[in-house]
Amino acid sequence: MKLNLHGPNGEQAIEIAGHAPVYRFRWSGAAERTANVEMPEPNVYSVLLDGRVYDARVEETAAGTLVIVIDGYRFEIGVRDPRRWSRKDAARSADGVQTVAAPMPGKVVRVLAAAGDRVEAGQGLLVVEAMKMQNEMKASRAGRILSVAVKEGATVVAGEVLATIE
Amino acid sequence: MFRKVLIANRGEIAVRIIRTLREMGIASVAVYSDADRLSRHVRMADEAEHIGPSPSAESYLVIEKVMDAARKHGADAVHPGYGFLSENAEFAAACEDAGLVFIGPSAESIRRMGSKTAARQTAVAAGAPVVPGTSHGVDLEEARAFAAENGYPILLKAVAGGGGKGMRRVDRDADLASSLRDAASEAARAFRNPDIYVERLIENGRHIEIQVLGDRHGNMVFLGERECSLQRRHQKVMEECPSPLVAQYPEMRLAMGEAAMRAARAAGYYNAGTVEFLVDRDRRFYFLEMNTRLQVEHPITELATGLDLVRLQVEVADGARLPFTQEQIALRGWAMECRVYAEDPYNHFLPYPGKLTRLTRPLGPGVRIDGCVYDGWVVPMEYDPLLAKLVVWAEHRENATARMIRALREYDVGGIHTNIGFFRQILEDGEFRRGNLHTGFIDDFLERTEAPKAPEDLSAVAALIAALHTVKRNANGAAKTAPETSAWKETGRNEMLR
Repeated sequence: MKLNLHGPNGEQAIEIAGHAPVYRFRWSGAAERTANVEMPEPNVYSVLLDGRVYDARVEETAAGTLVIVIDGYRFEIGVRDPRRWSRKDAARSADGVQTVAAPMPGKVVRVLAAAGDRVEAGQGLLVVEAMKMQNEMKASRAGRILSVAVKEGATVVAGEVLATIE
Repeated sequence: MFRKVLIANRGEIAVRIIRTLREMGIASVAVYSDADRLSRHVRMADEAEHIGPSPSAESYLVIEKVMDAARKHGADAVHPGYGFLSENAEFAAACEDAGLVFIGPSAESIRRMGSKTAARQTAVAAGAPVVPGTSHGVDLEEARAFAAENGYPILLKAVAGGGGKGMRRVDRDADLASSLRDAASEAARAFRNPDIYVERLIENGRHIEIQVLGDRHGNMVFLGERECSLQRRHQKVMEECPSPLVAQYPEMRLAMGEAAMRAARAAGYYNAGTVEFLVDRDRRFYFLEMNTRLQVEHPITELATGLDLVRLQVEVADGARLPFTQEQIALRGWAMECRVYAEDPYNHFLPYPGKLTRLTRPLGPGVRIDGCVYDGWVVPMEYDPLLAKLVVWAEHRENATARMIRALREYDVGGIHTNIGFFRQILEDGEFRRGNLHTGFIDDFLERTEAPKAPEDLSAVAALIAALHTVKRNANGAAKTAPETSAWKETGRNEMLR
């Protein structure tokens, strides 16, 4: 079986054969290796590879990717089965339009710009507060505010678009 | 001795206080906001009272609500913890007026030390050196005048401040207005007091503080120092007792300890308190402020002295004399604390509230955790994102560092970002190992180091597990993959049907 993985180093293929708990795999063009894999707790895998022990913990993100944590290192990986029809990657934003997204869940405490305003690079657009910490969202370049998607007092989730600049 | 104590706080410090109260045979009363019904401190207490909506300004900061809860439950004393109302003189006075013992200093001492500007005046009068700054809250024009006279960089600080809230470094005039506005707004939210004063910024100073403890009979001791130089956003994240600098120049300990006690005595202080000093590169120390309450990082002093500071607080509040003299206090070994926050250290330390999906805590020799989290808990977005304090003790600094790294490797928190991995990186750092600490250390560190690169084999294992997990999930069908989502959807559906 072959799957494409999209990780920090771009797209790489993995081939796996075998049955639980012993799997042979080839990853990223390297030679075939054999690993012993057990799941002692839900979403926690114990792996033996070349005599070394690894504890791998798996989280599923809202974006549909997997976060694998091993010895404190986080790997965010998207898995794609090349045999299935898959949607193309999320469409890139239209030319020249920049979005300002909430970097964390929180509450909009101040809106400092309105649609139509001209802004300079580095100018504050909104202030988002979470856990008593206020963070000013700044324009990363000069331009005109196309839209402000939130009002003061609004609760936002991480990644939510707050404003667009063209 | 008290029979029942109300804890006017939440989170890890409320849990910490409940533990000692239980050991002393004293019943505990927790208070909670809407967001905290399922917080650990409520689940652990003997009694609990709801005090309002999630924003702390409508619950934990409302004196009348806390007083009502204390009356209703028949508490005879109140422990304020740190933050919230702990340095509010009005609250201490309200407790005393209601016949409740406030486990802390007198309202008068808080007034003289709680406001940073009043504290500076008290310290100056007691002969302690202070950093040049304004003697009161300022407006934009006054801040500009101070900067013109003393030069940039300057530091804006909340008059009622603490914990780095309402604090801003300003490097140039162009940033002054917006920084002052943000600092004032943050201060107003955190302390209900928007006043901001200005100090000259001492670059790359060390933050070293002295723990003092006094009884109501005029006795006072100091319990060594703590090094708190590792900070991000002007907030401590890692502390040590003793300080590596003071360990090297032990004569500093007595000099700072005596200066701290002079300042505390000048305020008529009793109970536990902390005098903070800024130490410059020539090892000159300046009084910064006094925290008139238990400090977040008190556990490292407890491990190095063998004392329970909360127990001592309760005992002296009850009128007991200090059970030891200065000569009987000794620091033994080395203690270190890491503040585990729900935040992303590789994305400007932004808070990261959310649901914990997994929790494995370190155990074994010399490890202590003061925390409030459990598997399945949702970290609320309304409060400080401190999850737990991981504290270790060992014979000396090198072993304490190794033990902390070992403990951090055992610590696993799933579902949210934490700074656990970041601490490991710092502890491995040569400059840290040499004890070359200063308040700009973390910013420098981030500049000179890159995010750690995973060993090749870990990447291979991660790839294998990602693939196997996906295959397993697809085989099990969609129903099992996201029980959380479907449960929510189900609730939503039920709601709509009603």
